[in-house]
Amino acid sequence: MRQIQSKRRYLLALMIGSIIFINGFVITSTILSIQLNRVSDLQDRTSYSIFEDKLNYRLFDEDICSTNNFIKISKDLGFQGASIGDLEERLGKNDDEVIFRKRFYSLVELEHFEFINEYNEKCNQNRTTILFFYSNLKKDLDESERVGRLLDFVSEKNKNVHIYSFDINLDSRIINNLKQSYNIQSSPSIIINKNQKIDSQIDLDKIEKHISINNPESIHL
Amino acid sequence: MSFIIYVIYTSIYIGLVATTFYILTFLADSKKERPFFKDNELPLVSIIIPAFNEGETIALTLDSILSSNYPKNKLEIIVIDDGSNDKTFENALKYKSDIVKILKQKVNGGKGKALNRGIEESKGEIIFTMDADTTVHKDSLINMTRYFKNPEVTSVTPAMVTRETKTLIQRIQSIEYLTGLFLRKTFAALNAIHITPGAFSAYRKSFFDKHGGYDEDNITEDLEMALRIQYYKYKIENAPEAPAFTIPPRTFLDLLKQRRRWYAGLLRNMLKYRKLFGKEYGDMGLFVLPIAWISIFISVFMIIYYSYKMTVKSIKEILYYKSINFEILNQFEINSYLIERIFFQIISNTPLLFLLLFFIVILVYLRYASKKINRSESLLINLPLFLIFFAVLFGIWWVVSIIYVVFNKKVSWD
Repeated sequence: MRQIQSKRRYLLALMIGSIIFINGFVITSTILSIQLNRVSDLQDRTSYSIFEDKLNYRLFDEDICSTNNFIKISKDLGFQGASIGDLEERLGKNDDEVIFRKRFYSLVELEHFEFINEYNEKCNQNRTTILFFYSNLKKDLDESERVGRLLDFVSEKNKNVHIYSFDINLDSRIINNLKQSYNIQSSPSIIINKNQKIDSQIDLDKIEKHISINNPESIHL
Repeated sequence: MSFIIYVIYTSIYIGLVATTFYILTFLADSKKERPFFKDNELPLVSIIIPAFNEGETIALTLDSILSSNYPKNKLEIIVIDDGSNDKTFENALKYKSDIVKILKQKVNGGKGKALNRGIEESKGEIIFTMDADTTVHKDSLINMTRYFKNPEVTSVTPAMVTRETKTLIQRIQSIEYLTGLFLRKTFAALNAIHITPGAFSAYRKSFFDKHGGYDEDNITEDLEMALRIQYYKYKIENAPEAPAFTIPPRTFLDLLKQRRRWYAGLLRNMLKYRKLFGKEYGDMGLFVLPIAWISIFISVFMIIYYSYKMTVKSIKEILYYKSINFEILNQFEINSYLIERIFFQIISNTPLLFLLLFFIVILVYLRYASKKINRSESLLINLPLFLIFFAVLFGIWWVVSIIYVVFNKKVSWD
């Protein structure tokens, strides 16, 4: 019978291998927490910027029509949305910090949504808003992803479109109220310009029928 | 976490422990002293070269072996033309001399049969088997033979590397062969080499006398021989300082045929020598073979899983682009946000981080190989090709081979 050369070597390999394995997770979790801090910092700045703009024209009669700050804010929001999506993928959708960031993100989105509506009204603009209600439950995921990509395409093609995404399964009072007010029963559903609802067989034709194509800036959240 | 994530992390963990173990073994072995034949102790060696339709390469092979530094008075070369229908015999005949014998089999009987004939005719204490398109470094014969000073050593394998890297497929194989050099040396240290390359390997003749020659019905007779040596608990050594050069298959299909033969042969022979698994065979039975087969199993599972996923994804992509009337827009504006996101996606991805670590390990293996064979490969092109394609090719070869074995299909040399 052949003997094992060195049991100690096996033990050492097991220990070193385990340490490297655990450290891999420690490194990525540190990086994820850096990313989370970055998103959180950006969310604070974005919400501050939106509140500042709104208060300036409400309290001090600043001309809302002269601002184009919302373009920058839209880009920030787009990055935040994507980053939160990445974090959700890595940390899981039940992670407390991710859930909080998503809730906060929904609030900031709604602030921006309200701002754009007011901007349209006061400045005689017709920027299109789309509320996108999605679900990342396994049974709805494919369809939600498909519609999400369609909306990405629409916002890229039609430069005056703003898309606001909401996870309908997020335990958030404001999202629940939003779902109630637009009578959202299923996902994916979209609300175009606050009044046109599409909740079945969403395709490019149906979306494009409702949006106006006349503004030069690209806004993609 | 999904099942596939568990599979990925399990394979990473096994890979980390196994790699660490092999590196530790290599380091411990490099301090060991081995007995070597001195120049005046070198025994008579017989080089057996079976050749079937190798008219174009036989001269190069013979030139290479004749220019070896091995003492000519202790060298015997036997070429067996195995019923070729090209100019193999005529071209070999030009080399006929006191030390070069040319034999002819009228009918092509297969490599195993030709090798057995060569062994019968040989006088050497050490037998080298060599393919008729292999070439060797001038010191390889001596360097390999020196290991036989240890009476336990029954076989010695060389540093098998590729000679030609013209096509993409050959470039990928060149890296595969080079990374194998480190592992083969480590396996030798663990007494766990279970493959002796048919292209060039050395054996103690007494083993053939005692346990018989090559299995003539075996499609991978070289592999069967290695497993048989292990089965009888003899030692197989590796001489990394003895390069032997082979021409790897040039096309995907040729390579697939070669690997189908190798892997189907490995499966069948492993089944035959399944007793090699277990504590009876020390490190090989308890660690090296189980780890090798777990890796193969995981690779096959992954290739099937990802092929399915890729197919589903491709269908979805086609449907998506159809839904936007195949209108392609530049949807990704390059800005600091995009760069930041990509950066975070890469460095926060745990499997990717480990992949980077394994990449560094491969670089270390390649550095070792380059030093041993004193040749630097074009890593800038070949290594990325290897990293991109090898895992997929490896999975395909195994899936095809398993199908052949499960359905008991005949595997031939062609």
